[in-house]
Amino acid sequence: MGNSISRVMVKMFGYREMKILMLGLDNAGKTTILYKLKLNKIKTSAPTVGFNVETVSFRNVKFNMWDVGGQDRLRPLWRHYFPATTALIFVIDSQDMKRLNEAKEELYSIIGDKEMEEVVLLVLANKQDLKGSMNPQEISDYLELKSHLDSQLWCVIGSNALTGQGLVEGLSWITNNTKTKDKK
Amino acid sequence: MTKLSDVHDYGSSKTKSRNGGLSGYLASKSPSVPNLTQTFTTRSMKETSPERAGYQQFGSPLVEEPTNLSVIDLYGDEDDEDADDDEDADDDEAEGSQSTSGVIADLPVSSTESPSLEAPNAFGAAKDLSQYDRYGFKKQTAHVSQEEYHMWWDQYSRYCIRRKRKWQDLLEKSGLAPSNDVPDRFPPRSEKLKRYVRKGIPAEWRGQAWWYFARGQEKLNKNAGVYDKLLEGLNNKKDKNNCKDLEVIERDLHRTFPENIHFQKDPKEGQEPLMIQSLRRVLLAFSVYNPKIGYCQSMNFLAGLLLLFLDEEKSFWMLVIITSRYLPGVHNVNLEGVNVDQGVLMLCVKEYLPDFWQRIIPKEQSRSNEFLYKLPPITLCTASWFMSCFVGVVPIETTLRIWDCLFYEESHVLFKISLSIIKICEQELAGSRLAHRGLRARTHGRDDDDIEVFQVIQTVPKKLLDPQDIFDRIIFKRRVPLNNLNQEEIDRCRKYVTSQRLKFKNCAEIMGDRTSAKASAKRDLEIGPDFVNNALSSEVYGFRRSLTGAHWNNSIKEKVRQIRRK
Repeated sequence: MGNSISRVMVKMFGYREMKILMLGLDNAGKTTILYKLKLNKIKTSAPTVGFNVETVSFRNVKFNMWDVGGQDRLRPLWRHYFPATTALIFVIDSQDMKRLNEAKEELYSIIGDKEMEEVVLLVLANKQDLKGSMNPQEISDYLELKSHLDSQLWCVIGSNALTGQGLVEGLSWITNNTKTKDKK
Repeated sequence: MTKLSDVHDYGSSKTKSRNGGLSGYLASKSPSVPNLTQTFTTRSMKETSPERAGYQQFGSPLVEEPTNLSVIDLYGDEDDEDADDDEDADDDEAEGSQSTSGVIADLPVSSTESPSLEAPNAFGAAKDLSQYDRYGFKKQTAHVSQEEYHMWWDQYSRYCIRRKRKWQDLLEKSGLAPSNDVPDRFPPRSEKLKRYVRKGIPAEWRGQAWWYFARGQEKLNKNAGVYDKLLEGLNNKKDKNNCKDLEVIERDLHRTFPENIHFQKDPKEGQEPLMIQSLRRVLLAFSVYNPKIGYCQSMNFLAGLLLLFLDEEKSFWMLVIITSRYLPGVHNVNLEGVNVDQGVLMLCVKEYLPDFWQRIIPKEQSRSNEFLYKLPPITLCTASWFMSCFVGVVPIETTLRIWDCLFYEESHVLFKISLSIIKICEQELAGSRLAHRGLRARTHGRDDDDIEVFQVIQTVPKKLLDPQDIFDRIIFKRRVPLNNLNQEEIDRCRKYVTSQRLKFKNCAEIMGDRTSAKASAKRDLEIGPDFVNNALSSEVYGFRRSLTGAHWNNSIKEKVRQIRRK
């Protein structure tokens, strides 16, 4: 129902809204990204046990952004949030090499879910400001998205939640790559 | 001051022998909270008058000059009347008449000289301490401005002093007047004491009171030396067994109360705060002590808050008590406990807040009990309330009030509080709905509704600066249906939800992948519930409404079913 209305809205006003799920391992920087986008402020963030939801307006799109708690054992709690998601932002701590594999496994287990078949995937290689962090290309290679995803739209962007670098780029990438879908 | 003397005991008898072999990373528990307090005490004592020394518990002097007190008592007694029973009201009157004997000239005017419970002075120059409250938390948050804080605190601090006076009277009458400031025993349970607890335990007694009401000493006596052994064990095999928990804990340590002064680095010394060291030891020891739980995010907040009020070993045992007695299974690896509690909460919402219930769940799903298994999305939010026991969900003073009640009244308090918060949210939603009526109906769909509900549920609690908003205005009200919700009811409800969830789980397993893999959400709706409904529809939970038929009917149903099975 919500969808049909928003489709009408798009036609009439060029306005739309979408549900965005922000996931990633704990301590990747999801909450910081959310509040940088929402308030343009850095919140000293504590581990998210539950979730944060904020709406962020960008151009003529209203993003309903869900930032969900990270620790692996909390993940079953939000499994049922997959339906009706337009885009998935998967946040990676680019400096934490040790857990890169864990992040990769997590990513594939999420996008392997039925509900996630049609979402567009944006990977944010976060914490680019930190010394020794991997750059987006390296992250992208490591995740092997090219060889694993054929139908899904995806993109890896480097980001720094503290300065906001990469965040707007990310959102506009999502905006540009979801238009066609909404119209069908 | 018992806390401080405890420390000295530790220093002399226990720690010396232990300290020898332990070093570095996990060291002994001795350089923990109490020592931190001591630092604060000695440093700040120089600057404060000697009479205040007794109140330095958290490095937070609670100023209480008798001349001011009576005036403060006179002040704003009205807001007490509502809930006090006659006896208590008499007390009020008595105090009132005492204080009319005219000290009004000494009225504390500015918020700074009135019962200021400012944060410790230890970090002096480096930080503007006026920004921190008496527990070391930042007054200003994303949802509460400094001005709002002061406006509220100006009133509330007087209330605190008034309440403390009442507690002192109560203890005196019970023959338990403490020789030093902090009592280690409290009167036997009674309606009066319950009411006192609900109105807030004096901050500097909280640690002791929690410990007493939760029967911590009993637990500790049964387990004497266990905590020390756990710590020793940690030192010996720290890289092997608990590696996984260790990493997760390590990542969360510095994200626990990063804005609390006790959890921050002292810029001068540059070493890791003692509080963080204690927190690490408590969490690691716990993960070894109870591998079924290990470490679950949110326990860092529980332990962190405990450490602000109790020494390390006591905090550890309180964490054990919380995770077993008050929140059974909630932090377990499979999270079943938290799911059960959310099921219970949803039943409560359905029963007590039917309008809100309609808002969060589509009608067709409301009929069957399936929502106990596939919990409504809103529970992702409320689950975190339970896991962290409201730490970080509501402002600190409100959190502490909830904890006071929790340890005295057990876990049904958490459900009552949740329902109260949801009720406040509901009012907020109704308001915004009215304002946008018309426009909203035309342009917004269900998704928008959801988002709005979630946003309100997420932000409204963070603004509940004043505990009275929940306690006086909702929980204390007489003739609220919520009063029927007692521990017995919750325990019964928990059992019911547990068994229902099990049945649904078995059901889902029997039906195999038919529902999960093949069918999309829509088909799921077509087959699943029907099947399940037939199997389970007769089992509806009945809340005990004084003596109405609901519960009775239900138990008859249960009996009939048993007979049929035979």
